[in-house]
Amino acid sequence: MKFTLHIWRQKDTTSKGSFETYKMEDVSEHMSLLEMIDVLNEQLISEGKEPIAFDHDCREGICGACSMTINGRPHGNMKGTTTCQLHMRMFKDGDELWIEPFRARAFPVIKDLVVDRSALDRIIAAGGYVTVNTGAAQDANSIPVPKESADLAMDAAQCIGCGACVASCPNGAAMLFTAAKIMQLALLPQGQPERKKRAIAMIEQMDKEGFGACRNYYECEANCPKNISVRFISRMNIEFLSAATAKSM
Amino acid sequence: MAIFSFLRSTVLSKIVMAITGVLLLLFIIGHLVGNLQIYLGPEPLNTYAQFLKSIGEILWIVRIVLFVSLVLHIITSLYLSSINNSAKPVKYQVVNYAKAKINSRSMLVTGIMIFAFITYHLLHFTFGITNPEHYEQHELTVKKAYVLPGNVSEEQLKSMPKNCFVEQNILTERHDVYKMVVLGFRNPFISLAYIVAVVLLGFHLSHAIKSCFHTLGVTGPKFTPWMERCSTIFSIIITLLYVSIPISVLLGLVGGGV
Ligand code: HEM
Repeated sequence: MKFTLHIWRQKDTTSKGSFETYKMEDVSEHMSLLEMIDVLNEQLISEGKEPIAFDHDCREGICGACSMTINGRPHGNMKGTTTCQLHMRMFKDGDELWIEPFRARAFPVIKDLVVDRSALDRIIAAGGYVTVNTGAAQDANSIPVPKESADLAMDAAQCIGCGACVASCPNGAAMLFTAAKIMQLALLPQGQPERKKRAIAMIEQMDKEGFGACRNYYECEANCPKNISVRFISRMNIEFLSAATAKSM
Repeated sequence: MAIFSFLRSTVLSKIVMAITGVLLLLFIIGHLVGNLQIYLGPEPLNTYAQFLKSIGEILWIVRIVLFVSLVLHIITSLYLSSINNSAKPVKYQVVNYAKAKINSRSMLVTGIMIFAFITYHLLHFTFGITNPEHYEQHELTVKKAYVLPGNVSEEQLKSMPKNCFVEQNILTERHDVYKMVVLGFRNPFISLAYIVAVVLLGFHLSHAIKSCFHTLGVTGPKFTPWMERCSTIFSIIITLLYVSIPISVLLGLVGGGV
């Protein structure tokens, strides 16, 4: 297959970037998009040019590292997949692809397609965990969990923290990420003791990082590689309201 | 000001947007029901207008609640929009939205135009400043009254037959809202302004109604798709009903006797 690639090149955070155009011939339809960039990078290296920097790790759709926006869609146009699982057979021969880094103020570009997503880590550090005493784990059945709650918590826990919600949101909001992380713990018994404190702390951190607000566009849900539902944002709003009321009383 | 401290949180701001939006929406529905009485003729509409003026304190409470809601709604929307703009300084080269429709992306623009219209509408029909010749309409009605004979107690009144009193006709005057509206809408430019504004309002509502359900946590896997469809239909119905009034006047279907 043949492709024309327009890839964002940027030396470092402070320099100005621009698109470079590369022609690819003989691309196998079995390659993933990342593998195609690997081939391109080999070519660039053999020509003595700087290879394209991009994030990737597991290449099996579970780590969330491979952040890039392809033709305006984070992780590409295919629903429920990460970029590493996006195969070239999904495109048409001769397609033109615009490949850009995830865009948001809270995600500064480090180099080319690599962005700094540690703002999401700081939201987790603000309270996205359960504080426990270490020691022997107790018997699994000693804490009953209703099936519905377990299912919902699992849906939320699917979030791999890739940041596609932020990248796709016209407002650069991290609501879907934060909501999934808050609700995953709020739905389970282990999350109860710190439930209110957690909701407030994580949302405050989210605001501090310079993410935008939700306008119910639902772009995040449409672009989430794990199909996380925007209904978690609704639940988070109520969670925050009840935590904030409890705190002020 | 302490009242605006909610602006420190995007989530609280959104909740304020939704609650004030719902209050404004309730007004939009109530106002529509009131206005549709124009189809019943001058008498019911003018009586309704007179009734609204007569409830005094309640009317003022409603007006104050609406005014505060509008101010909070506008300030919060400006604040959120500025945060949202600065959170996405660099836009994508290729814009390819999956779900964000034009109505949701133009909320601020439609909102500001609605505000401009509300201001004009109040100057036109509530304060009678822009077109006093439309506003200054009075309806004279003759009512029967009885002259009481001297000092009679209420007890005595009840037992006395009506023909003990002298009957007189008195002339009462009230604002002729019907005539005011008909004269206003006979001007095609004014009608056009109202129609455009209401269509913009419908556009705002087509995203706003489902959005406030979502913001306020009223969602569910079965409920949400159903609610979204109903919200769209509902905003279309509201728009059509409002628009029908100036159109009916222009076509001469309403206000022939004016
Ligand atoms: C009577 C007229 C109005 C009604 C009934 C109304 C209703 C609503 C409702 C129900 C929402 C949804 C809130 C949510 O997402 O939960 C909304 C959002 C919004 N309204 Fe209004 N509104 C009105 C006038 C205005 C005005 C005058 C402005 C002026 C700027 C405005 C600007 C906005 C904006 C920007 C949003 C989106 C906020 C966001 O999600 O970030 N609206 N409106």
